[in-house]
Amino acid sequence: MNEVLSIQNLHKSFGAAKVLQGISLGVPAGSVYGFLGENGAGKTTTMKIILGLLQGDRGQIHVCGEKVRFGHTTTNRFLGYLPDVPQFYPYMRGREYLKFSGEAAGLSHSQIHQRSGELLELVGLGTVKKKIGAYSRGMKQRLGMAQALIHQPAVLICDEPTSALDPTGRQEILDILRAIRATTTVIFSTHILGDVERICDRAAVLHQGRIVLEGSLGDLKARQGSQGLRLEFASREDLTRFCERVLDEFIELISQTSVIVRTTDIRQEHQVIGMLADATIVPLSLEAISPTIESLFLEAVR
Amino acid sequence: MRGFMVFCRKELTESYRSYRLVILLVVMALMGIMSPFTAMILPDILSGSDLGGGLILELPEPTSFDSWTQFFSNVSQMGMLAMILVFAGLMASELSKGTLIPVLTKGIPRGTVILAKFTVATILWSLGYAVSWIICWGYTIYYWGAQDFTHPWITFCAPWLVGELFLALMILGGTLVSNWGGSLGVVAVVVITGNLVNLLPEVRPYNPITLAAGTLGLLDGSHSVEDFTPAIAICVGAIVLCLILSIVVFKRKQL
Amino acid sequence: MLDSWEAARTYLPILIPAAIIQLGLMVASLIHLATHPRVKLMPRWVWLIIIIVINTIGPILYFIVGRTDEEDQ
Repeated sequence: MNEVLSIQNLHKSFGAAKVLQGISLGVPAGSVYGFLGENGAGKTTTMKIILGLLQGDRGQIHVCGEKVRFGHTTTNRFLGYLPDVPQFYPYMRGREYLKFSGEAAGLSHSQIHQRSGELLELVGLGTVKKKIGAYSRGMKQRLGMAQALIHQPAVLICDEPTSALDPTGRQEILDILRAIRATTTVIFSTHILGDVERICDRAAVLHQGRIVLEGSLGDLKARQGSQGLRLEFASREDLTRFCERVLDEFIELISQTSVIVRTTDIRQEHQVIGMLADATIVPLSLEAISPTIESLFLEAVR
Repeated sequence: MRGFMVFCRKELTESYRSYRLVILLVVMALMGIMSPFTAMILPDILSGSDLGGGLILELPEPTSFDSWTQFFSNVSQMGMLAMILVFAGLMASELSKGTLIPVLTKGIPRGTVILAKFTVATILWSLGYAVSWIICWGYTIYYWGAQDFTHPWITFCAPWLVGELFLALMILGGTLVSNWGGSLGVVAVVVITGNLVNLLPEVRPYNPITLAAGTLGLLDGSHSVEDFTPAIAICVGAIVLCLILSIVVFKRKQL
Repeated sequence: MLDSWEAARTYLPILIPAAIIQLGLMVASLIHLATHPRVKLMPRWVWLIIIIVINTIGPILYFIVGRTDEEDQ
């Protein structure tokens, strides 16, 4: 698998506060990578180190095979960055700002003209004429997306692109991310689990400066196994007989004939099925409860 | 070089649209107009006043020298103050607001940002200073007739050079502290120290701050160019040092 | 009377451009204030008074610290 971004053993502290304590991860090309964590978990810090805005204490970062050096901007040609609260020059208009960004990135005038037209259309600012000073928060976020994409970066890094927005604004940003995933690898941080579930194919969970969970969404769910089995019995009698064989702490009664057995790995689920066989009970239904990203997250940061 | 030009163009647009350019030009033009005027009316105002005990102050007729005295005093006080207010946010406001983050992540090197900002501020300040000087010069010729200067460049560029020093200091202060207070603080400290140090006569020839108003001595011939060369050299050195320090500090700054 | 006429003639070449600049500055800042609904630091009517009452410095202060870029739409 071709990795566009790899981080090895990254450490960073601000004074006594150890913000990052040995982060390692790899982002494969073409993925939408969710970077999850509570506020203050170190997501922004990690992103800023990737962009060379902050200096890591230890560890290495490679973007498209090139090493990132603090204070230098060479690896930034592969990257587009949308800060959590993007700030632009208020006296410029959207199109002007994109022209400036494109020139800063070294694009030709015809490229800038073409790209900024496409991007303003994509982010829904095509008809907006007013100065950036009069933009709403959501409009600034969308302009931020356009300026981050102007030079067709291999990787787009967005810091909490949806957090500050209302549901409509959030949906618009997610739609934009979905629209560009074919051409651009997207890394975005968030603490909104629903966003990850909706568009990510890989995710890492950052907690107290460490990666506590990492992988493709499918893998993560599979590795975790189901969270339990929901059993429905034909009679109350069957239920009672079954419950006698299982320790009370695993059992959660739902109704008079149905029960959830909490399990932590697949072996325990095998045992449950064994118990059913031993007791010669055939339940009416047996269903594995699959984990949600939320339960994975809560499990990981516990 | 491409990044430098791109950022310079942005700075020029900003100067124009944030009214920096027009404010500076207007203030400097007014300084140029007011200087000969003050020189002319000052004797009228003062000579009419009774100093007490029946003593009437008799002042000689104003000359072109008085006009230039007023010019230096106006430019080094009101002119510099306006210039400092206009440029105090040059580095500081961008750092405190975070508007440089998208620019830097687009690949413009950090050192380029500092140099481009200094370059454009220099263009603006030079323009303002030139406008002020040309207006004052024109009026002085109109009222007192044409005159020859023995060392026009050194005489009239000295206050401009001090302005350049203030610009470099404000960029350094803004880079260090990331707010207006930092920019203004650094300039205030240098001006106050500069004036305190002036109490020692042996330091005076080396003190760049004296250049702001001190080159009058070249106009009336009481001083020679050599008297000012050490201060000019130190001023130029200080500007270069400030810029180098700003770049070094900015390159290491965590954003 | 003649004396002050003489004085006026002498100073006119200076006073006229100075007055034009000051007036222009005031008019420019009033126009800006009228077309921009939001201002900083002080309410709009205070800025209006400052611009009109404080000669030269009032309009300049408005442009440096009072103005915003938010245009009337």
